[in-house]
Amino acid sequence: MSELSAEEIAKRERDSAIPFVDLRDGARGVLTWAQMDGDDLADAAIELIGEATRIAQHLDEDSRTIYTVIIGRKTSQFTDKLIHHGADVVYVIEDERLTDYLTLPFTNAMVSAIREIKPEIALMSASTLGRDLAPRIAGILDLGLSADCTSFEVGLYVNRRKNQKFEKAFKMVRPSFGESKLATIVGPWCYPQMATARPGVFKPLDIDTSRTGKVIEFKPEWESKDFDVELIESVRNPSTIDLSKADIMVAGGFGMGKDGFGLLRELVDAINDNGQKAEIGASRAAVDAGFVDYAYQIGQTGKTVRPSIYVAIGISGAIQHLAGMKESSKIFAVNNDHKASIFKNADYGLVMDYQEAIPELIKQVKAGYKFPLDK
Amino acid sequence: MSELKYPKLDLNIYVLIKQVPMPKAMKTTAEGLMDRTGKSMMNPHCSHALEEAISLKDKVGGTVTALSMGPPNAKQSLMEALRRGADRAYLLSDRKLAGSDTWSTAEALSKTIEHISNGDALDVLFAGLQTIDGDTAHVGPQCSARLELNQVTYVESVDIFDDKTLKVRRIIESGYQILKVPLPVMLSVSHTANVPRGPSLNSSMSALNKEIIMYNIGEVGLPETSAGMTGSPTVVSRVKNVVHDRGAIVLFTEGSTEERVSNLLTALKEETS
Repeated sequence: MSELSAEEIAKRERDSAIPFVDLRDGARGVLTWAQMDGDDLADAAIELIGEATRIAQHLDEDSRTIYTVIIGRKTSQFTDKLIHHGADVVYVIEDERLTDYLTLPFTNAMVSAIREIKPEIALMSASTLGRDLAPRIAGILDLGLSADCTSFEVGLYVNRRKNQKFEKAFKMVRPSFGESKLATIVGPWCYPQMATARPGVFKPLDIDTSRTGKVIEFKPEWESKDFDVELIESVRNPSTIDLSKADIMVAGGFGMGKDGFGLLRELVDAINDNGQKAEIGASRAAVDAGFVDYAYQIGQTGKTVRPSIYVAIGISGAIQHLAGMKESSKIFAVNNDHKASIFKNADYGLVMDYQEAIPELIKQVKAGYKFPLDK
Repeated sequence: MSELKYPKLDLNIYVLIKQVPMPKAMKTTAEGLMDRTGKSMMNPHCSHALEEAISLKDKVGGTVTALSMGPPNAKQSLMEALRRGADRAYLLSDRKLAGSDTWSTAEALSKTIEHISNGDALDVLFAGLQTIDGDTAHVGPQCSARLELNQVTYVESVDIFDDKTLKVRRIIESGYQILKVPLPVMLSVSHTANVPRGPSLNSSMSALNKEIIMYNIGEVGLPETSAGMTGSPTVVSRVKNVVHDRGAIVLFTEGSTEERVSNLLTALKEETS
């Protein structure tokens, strides 16, 4: 046990004189958004209920109710699943026109539900949809919002500037400055304290089919302008390929072009022929350009993988891509631009054109080279 | 592909531009705020938003107004926007804005847009999807809520339907949506949307005669109670560094292609065995 410095002791004495405040004004409980992807329930829906339940244990006893709001065309079929995964009260908003996510009707529905429920905390997924919805709600209700969080805590927060102390502030932790820092955000002045949570990070609770809860059919007052924006087409490629089974991922970027991806495929085939499990991966830009199917997209709006070996070829290393592969055991990067940020996030690198590197890699694999895999 | 297929719409287009620290110069002050005194650049996503704004203007005509909020040196990025083809540029700069979170940033920018447009209604507001220093993706949607605009985020392409609606494609997980969106609208643009152009000779020449107009919060009617740390519903209470267990990269630069690839594969095997 180290002794506290005089400065630290003085600081603690000053802090102990700061008065506790509670600005919740009746706001209680934790609200989650049960995201739908078209007519299917997104995984994020039950992940958020799991995390909301863990957070609620640290709130006041009268603030532990989990309210889950589900919005869409065919939502009532999912209420049991939500309750079995931890929701106490499910607000069901069903309307034939809500075939898929649209900003304005979903905002109206959530804003109405938040006004009705008055929760202490509100959580939404940091998906492409949640990151559209949450800031719009925050803008309308004048709420604080913390983006893309990866962990949450509840605890003491002292604000010396305002001379205020909060006993159970919601602490929202998020990666920032290009994933190089973790910032803790608080906002115990406006309620609900609101955050989006990174998909895939939080664990759902184990399913309990004996759990019961309340279902409320909720009807927001639609405004005619809510349906001004028209959905012409919505394309979701349900994934048939399980990239998580590959030990070696060989991923390509936009700059490689269609022909480059042909070469990449040859390398993947050579590794598979040599008795190791390899799969192709791609950046969003390469997928958009039609070089490979959406199912192979790695990154924030694609898949997250953690293979033994990740070979990044012609990939610049945008944050969005890194988010999907940075946990790989070993990363090696090939790029002809020595300034590409992928080199800051790799173990080994070649500053080289892919047209030179890939044929050489194929040659060595065909000669019997085996990549070292995690045990 | 003739330009004639587009109607002449004379759109009133705005684009939000943020100047951010160069990735290498990113550091925080003792209070946990971004230190904005080092080398800086136009936020990459804003650069894609600017490109989308200028190409929309190229198609249907109109005016592109670039707007930034930040310290006086943010003029650099606005000047770059003018050289690439923006018609005019404004900077909201005031020490009282320090510590603004996304809500109060959107409040300040929206007030500025209302002040500049002064009744000449905005048609399209472009923003970058997110910034590389904050990574929140909030400010575009928060401005569109404030200004009561339609909203599409994660935008990958923008086309014209008719004189009152745009055809917009946005990213969703494992696919995309195509939307028919009436004006006025806020579009936040993904880095996959386009390859930004460089400065043009014509625009650079005319930029020489243009002035970046600066405002303080009083001039745009933003009350002090809504500005900066005072007006922000959230604060950063703590910042810590993420510890990377991945060591420094080993680059293979010596020898022929064959030797370099072979040395890399050998090193990979030896280290892990």
